[in-house]
Amino acid sequence: MRILLVEDEKLLAKEVLFYLEKDEIICDWASNYAEASEQLAVNQYDFVLLDLGLPDGDGMDLLSESKTNQKHALVIILTARSDIKDRVMGLEMGADDYLSKPFSFLELKARMQAILRRKSGWNKEKINIGAFLLDLDSWTVGFQGEKIVLTKKEFSLLHFLLIHPNRVINRFQLAEHIWGDHLEDDYQSNYIDVHIKNIRKKLGNYASVKWLETVRGVGYKIKT
Amino acid sequence: MYLSTKMLLYNLLAKGIILLFFLMTGPFLLKYFALKDIDAELQDKRDQILTIISQDGMEEFFVEDDSQSGFGSYNILREEYVLLERMEEPFLLDSIFNEQRILDNVAVSYRVCAYVFSFEEEAYLMEIGKSLETINRIFDLISGIILLLLLAFLVLSFFLDNIFSKRLIQPFNKIIRDKISHINEPQQFKHEPVETSTRDFRMLDDAISDMMWRIQKSFNQERVFISHASHELKTPVSILQTKIEAFFGDENLSQREMERLMDMQQTIQKFKKIINALLLLSKVNNAQYLKTESVSLNALLDGLFEEWSPLAKDRALKLNLEIEDDFVYRRSNGSLCQIMLQNALSNAMKYSYKGTTIQLVGQLRADEYQIHIINKGPGISVELMDQVAAGMVFLKDAKKESSGYGLQIIFKIASFLGVKVEAASNSSGTNFIFRFPTN
Repeated sequence: MRILLVEDEKLLAKEVLFYLEKDEIICDWASNYAEASEQLAVNQYDFVLLDLGLPDGDGMDLLSESKTNQKHALVIILTARSDIKDRVMGLEMGADDYLSKPFSFLELKARMQAILRRKSGWNKEKINIGAFLLDLDSWTVGFQGEKIVLTKKEFSLLHFLLIHPNRVINRFQLAEHIWGDHLEDDYQSNYIDVHIKNIRKKLGNYASVKWLETVRGVGYKIKT
Repeated sequence: MYLSTKMLLYNLLAKGIILLFFLMTGPFLLKYFALKDIDAELQDKRDQILTIISQDGMEEFFVEDDSQSGFGSYNILREEYVLLERMEEPFLLDSIFNEQRILDNVAVSYRVCAYVFSFEEEAYLMEIGKSLETINRIFDLISGIILLLLLAFLVLSFFLDNIFSKRLIQPFNKIIRDKISHINEPQQFKHEPVETSTRDFRMLDDAISDMMWRIQKSFNQERVFISHASHELKTPVSILQTKIEAFFGDENLSQREMERLMDMQQTIQKFKKIINALLLLSKVNNAQYLKTESVSLNALLDGLFEEWSPLAKDRALKLNLEIEDDFVYRRSNGSLCQIMLQNALSNAMKYSYKGTTIQLVGQLRADEYQIHIINKGPGISVELMDQVAAGMVFLKDAKKESSGYGLQIIFKIASFLGVKVEAASNSSGTNFIFRFPTN
């Protein structure tokens, strides 16, 4: 997979590139409009991660260019701008998703996977974990043909952990994934423990859930 | 009451009062002037008779040597009469009055001009009378006609005024419907002038448009400022966030290092939340959110109940859901509705006594859908509620571990969405009531 990252903040770009390249993704970086425009004209990309606030132009114009020159590229807008109009306009102009800064790499990866699934018709994808089968189409967990009912939040948490196997995901990252940023206090990060407890209880009635590990004081990880 | 209704009622009342005045006074004035006319006629006839007497003497009226006799003459329809009598004991009299006379057992009202005069050393009483029956009949007839005219006039006036006032204030209604109703959403305001030939409405429309230009300009400046502030605040946080995440991704981290990173993450998290809360409040104030969704409130409550029940259980609380008929809140914003109710529920969870029940109630009433979030706990202090009501963002009494933005977010979003919020709180608990208008 080849990605173009359009980001004028050098430090942020460096971290995103580092993270993506670890997953063996080929990444190009453009730090301004002119560079990005050139890259879009020359190369073929699967994904364009686009920051709207560029020093020499508006990211929205670049989005149009991307849609003209890179018809098959999927676009995620990454921006620290708060204007709802930008979001609506971006999506109306063909962006596939919109991620507000500051974002988590894990969230970015989850969004990219979701878009790929959606665009390529992989919605019927099923993921195995231990003796269980996650059905992403029906949002259910199966065990030897039997359906185990999880709440939406529980399923979302389990899926998020599964996208990032063998990696510690802290409570804040999990909380942000399922609740967003607009609860006033930090209680929601403690509520993650409750959901994990419920997931363990529900799945534990059928088979071992040792693959779902607790990292004390930090978060959780799925060991495969 | 609408202006058109008020104008209509005022017109009817004013016309009614004027017509009633004429109805009350008209016949009497008519009668008064008719009597004046009759009086003048009677006096004129009296003078004519006196002239005849002075020229021809009394022979035509009195029989010789009949000192007791008098002269009396009624016309055939008894509408007028003349009477002359000799007076043994004369007195002064020159008067006009009404009097009833019985003629052939029938009482007839007359206007009588009575006059005592002397002729050839004799005193005479002269009475000239004119029947009032005609005047009384005309009086009744005119009263009836005026009453009918009044009623007809009022009915006709009602319809005409109604049509006229509606047409007259049509531009005003358009100003209210298309302009004033949008002043809370300056970005949606349309500046096309309302068609009117009324100078006052033209001035009002222009003044509102001018005012909205200024508000829009100010809103746009605020929007740009918020956007830039957001960018400037979030970009460094993003860099910190990504760096910490990169550290977290290192598989060789020790437990202690992880815990330290968590502490840093927590600080960043707090910072992010403050920025997000302030930006949310600013954006709601700046009317940046769209209100284009239809939100099923029962579905929203169901979702909250499903999501928060396990969390309540973990805190030794019980979450109870009671919902009746559904209501779909149109021209709204689903995410904001969710944030608003979620913050109230989160607040209730935080400040409930262990072992108690939190009631989540949705009920459709005559003109509103009510959502109650009721908990038993220490309640919210009056001072804090006053600060929220005053729109204070940094609440003075908020506890250290809580910023107090939650309450402000609830109230600001509610105001933006047109939802009324009441928080009845005392030392035994709090009842948050959200009132969604149904019309």
